[in-house]
Amino acid sequence: MTEHPSTPVRRNDSASRQFLSGFPLQHPAQASGLDSRTISRAKLGDIDAFTAIVEAYHARCIRFARAMLRNPDDAEDMVQETFVRLYRALPRYEERQRFEAWLFQILGNCCRTANTAFQRHSSRTTNDEEAYERVPSIDDPAAQFDHEWSEAVRRALAEVPEYNREIFLLHYIEGFSYEEVERMTGIKQSALKMRVKRASDMLRTRLSEGHR
Amino acid sequence: MSDAERDPVLRRALDELRKLPPADVGAMRRVVSAAAAARVTPFDSDPGMSSPRRGRSVRVWMVVGIAAASAFVGFALRGAWTSRSHAASTAASSGAPSTAPSIVRTAASTELDAAPVQQPFVFNNSRAHKVFVVGDFNRWDPTATPMTRSSDGELWSTVIPVVPGRHMYAFMVDDSLFTLDPNAPKTRDPDLGAEGSIIIVGRP
Repeated sequence: MTEHPSTPVRRNDSASRQFLSGFPLQHPAQASGLDSRTISRAKLGDIDAFTAIVEAYHARCIRFARAMLRNPDDAEDMVQETFVRLYRALPRYEERQRFEAWLFQILGNCCRTANTAFQRHSSRTTNDEEAYERVPSIDDPAAQFDHEWSEAVRRALAEVPEYNREIFLLHYIEGFSYEEVERMTGIKQSALKMRVKRASDMLRTRLSEGHR
Repeated sequence: MSDAERDPVLRRALDELRKLPPADVGAMRRVVSAAAAARVTPFDSDPGMSSPRRGRSVRVWMVVGIAAASAFVGFALRGAWTSRSHAASTAASSGAPSTAPSIVRTAASTELDAAPVQQPFVFNNSRAHKVFVVGDFNRWDPTATPMTRSSDGELWSTVIPVVPGRHMYAFMVDDSLFTLDPNAPKTRDPDLGAEGSIIIVGRP
């Protein structure tokens, strides 16, 4: 497998570096490679260390939540809920478990719960005018093509059953090995591989149909 | 390269899905604030052991919540317990300004119920060099509560004030080994997957 861009990517803009006046930030280079000391400090309730964790993983969590949730607009709320639960549980975190595997385990739980709740209240209807306003007007043909491709990928992924999609995302997008996903989910590797294959096949079929 | 990444369509889809959203400064700020405000443990309710790190907003909202609960209890009890609880229920239900401590006492029935009790912890390990008890009552601080070795070198013990209620705890052996109490029931935190020992602290 080629290298995944799964390691936390930090933006080097000044706004990102100073986003919390009350909580001093780590230098991006330090925060991207979260060391065990940062996590140990966060375990003891150090809010600065926790801020470094949020900075390092927030974008990845949003990406995962948007791909997992039936209502992607809930992604920010779900990620916030995940980090709050993480912070409360941090004192009991055992460092023998990989930190980001634990984080995505909590996030996966939150997303599944949210999807269940959303399904229960799925009588929500989309306001057509509102939906129309959300579609950006793109003049550049290349940008328009990219936008259409992006939408096609998201629509195709949304059609993949949730139980296959989650494993697919954990493995291919977040870069967890099958061994790690097995530890996170309790599902045997053979079953995981089958789920990833089914998700891949479905994604390929939908995209091939749509762009023929 | 995996099968999926050998397929040009899938490879392109993966590239698309791997794109990270732009950093949302406001959202990150809200996350940290929410987490800081939400970290409340039974340890916080013990004024003698409270930490300055905890969010002040939570404390205010807790007092408001307790005040509302105490007002409700005050209304319910006023008829049946007129002679005994007249003063407390009047203070709680009249809506007149009152200090937080008096409201807390009403909700907790008696001040004694909420006061920490001396709780012993005992751990058997002859090979350990140092042992600390960690739990929600001391914010899982691995340096807060050292245990003392018995003269025969077998047992480690300590007695600390703990607020009555259900608490999760464990022993930290030699600074690194998180060990459950073999003599106590255990539970699993749904978020952690990790287990902790359970103790119910109450008044004798």
